[in-house]
Amino acid sequence: MNQTEFNRRQLLALMGSAAAVAGLPRGAMAAEALKLWAPGIAKVGGNDWSAMEAQAGVSIAPIAKSARADESIQKMVVGDGNSLYDAMTDNGGGMEDALASQGAIVPLDASRIANFSNMVADYQDGGAAADTIRYNGDLVAIPYISNADSLAFNHGVIGEELSSWEALFDSQFRGRAAMQNDFGPTLTNTAIYLKQSGKQDIENPSDMSEAEVRGVCQFLIDLKKKGHFRTFWDGVQNGADLLSSEEVLVSSCWEVIQIFAARKNGADIRYGTMKEGHQAWNNVVMLTRGGKERGMEDAFYALANVYLSPWFGARTLAGLGFTPQMVGVNEYIDAHPDDFDADTKAITAERLARKQERIVVPGNSWQNVFPTNIRAYQDWWARVQAA
Amino acid sequence: MTVRNIEGVAPVAAPLREPMREKLARWVFALPLAFMLLFFALPMALTFVFSVFERTMFWMEPGFTLFSYENFFFSARLENFLSSMYYSGIAVIVCFVLGFPIAVFLRKSVPQVAQHRVVLLFILPFMVSEIIRVFALRPVLQRNGLVNTTLQNLGLIDEPITALLYTHTGVIIGEVMSFLPFIIFSGFLAMEAVPKYIFEVCDDLGAGPVRRFLDVILPLAAPGIFAGCTFIFVNGLGVALLPNILGGAGAVNAGLIATQAIAALDFPLAMAVSAIMMTTLMALLYIGHRLFDLTKILSPIN
Repeated sequence: MNQTEFNRRQLLALMGSAAAVAGLPRGAMAAEALKLWAPGIAKVGGNDWSAMEAQAGVSIAPIAKSARADESIQKMVVGDGNSLYDAMTDNGGGMEDALASQGAIVPLDASRIANFSNMVADYQDGGAAADTIRYNGDLVAIPYISNADSLAFNHGVIGEELSSWEALFDSQFRGRAAMQNDFGPTLTNTAIYLKQSGKQDIENPSDMSEAEVRGVCQFLIDLKKKGHFRTFWDGVQNGADLLSSEEVLVSSCWEVIQIFAARKNGADIRYGTMKEGHQAWNNVVMLTRGGKERGMEDAFYALANVYLSPWFGARTLAGLGFTPQMVGVNEYIDAHPDDFDADTKAITAERLARKQERIVVPGNSWQNVFPTNIRAYQDWWARVQAA
Repeated sequence: MTVRNIEGVAPVAAPLREPMREKLARWVFALPLAFMLLFFALPMALTFVFSVFERTMFWMEPGFTLFSYENFFFSARLENFLSSMYYSGIAVIVCFVLGFPIAVFLRKSVPQVAQHRVVLLFILPFMVSEIIRVFALRPVLQRNGLVNTTLQNLGLIDEPITALLYTHTGVIIGEVMSFLPFIIFSGFLAMEAVPKYIFEVCDDLGAGPVRRFLDVILPLAAPGIFAGCTFIFVNGLGVALLPNILGGAGAVNAGLIATQAIAALDFPLAMAVSAIMMTTLMALLYIGHRLFDLTKILSPIN
């Protein structure tokens, strides 16, 4: 058989398969892999999705996704995302409302997720984070990770624990401090500090008025003109490099950055609990309208069930440092000593305890992807960058 | 009858074949024009049109407003844009100073049979993704990177030089590393307008290197040099990853301004930034054409 024959046969076989698939009713497609648009942090158990597939009992076809809100909106609201993806992840506290309001995602049936009752109390009706998974009272998303972002610092060089955002803005770290290159978390964390320290009147750090945004940005501009910030970081790799290379000694960042930076060269880089408060956030998984139309609901609910299982929660906590979204994680870790050795168990217990400390700080504010005065945020953030 | 038939057919058949060939030839020559219209003029026109649309929460809707331009010109974005023009200009100068002598050397001193092979060497870095090349600069330039460690080990500095990374200097270094080959290529092409005997004539007449460069090489090679410099300048303005990865807290260029506008779902503003960038480029090309007659770039090849 020569190459030409082989290709022709393959082509004919493919055409036959395509014709057969086209003739099948839509329900028959349910055996297809769930097309999941998600970042790498949405999986645990290895470098690929096989462990997640085994737990869920469904095939998953992952498609890499960034954390940018504009990407989701462009694909799901303006573009052809509903024909490409059956399920997707994004930030709760804004994105689920935006996507549901545009009909890009569909309401969910909690009774089809056995582990739904395991979900932490904050998400249950009336809880502090209940709104982040609901739209107009309807459940539209399932949380899989969350955190309260804080300050990472090089304890080896600094030699003391830091427990206030004051340190990030202190002149002793001039030129050795960094913040995220994103107006959302950077302005919110700065606003939390200014509000709680009594330096500025701010009603809601998550949704500031134009005057409040101006005050917060002016504070950052003054510092920046003094050369206080080494840079504003973008991405996990960039943030971790800054800390591990000692370019900066203090950085407001995601916990995963602190973990990676500490792992990279074994430096004593820690993640503090800030007495003024933190920006809390979560990431959620959602069923797209297209996914429902293609009959992928069963596969979606199977995956959602895994996301709310201690199996997932224990592994995301141990590996990436994200907060599990369900109860029973410590018990699960205790019951599986083969999967979690003594060191890992100690790390996860300590990490979880610190998370609990951060989560209960009264000054915390929830992430807001679309603040009311978003234009003021954007315009003033441009001025911060230009300063 | 036969003669008459032949005579009758011949005058009819000949004009039929000729116009068909001519028609096809016309269409062939129209293809580049169609390409330019489809992939250049139309997107450009749409960019201008979208820039005056009304912004909605997630997209934009038809309308006419200059708000995006107001938002650009009466905010810190203009300052950022002008600043990135300034630093791109510095990168162009550095590239020219480093790259053009290489092009002259290639034309003047390398045997003609080997010239193109040597030029190919400069393509090799482009086999690696730009993002990897730019990222690779960080371990070299950072506080405890290769440059600082080497200088400290040699006893030349006591404290690490922090101006190499997360500063405008870092961005300029990145631009030079990324775009230097372009000035070498365009310089190499431009030097085709300067025959080798010109150097000998200059030597015979006693013209020194400076005078030879200013009075002979520069005027002859100016169109090609300008094209290369414009390419570097525009890339310096537009490639967002350079200030993003190597720049500090204040390093922003036009590409990054547009990217940030898209991230904030302000599509008309992103279009306005793009339109302003394109206008800047067109103005530069117009000025360059008036000064140097850019059509001459192709004349040495002809």
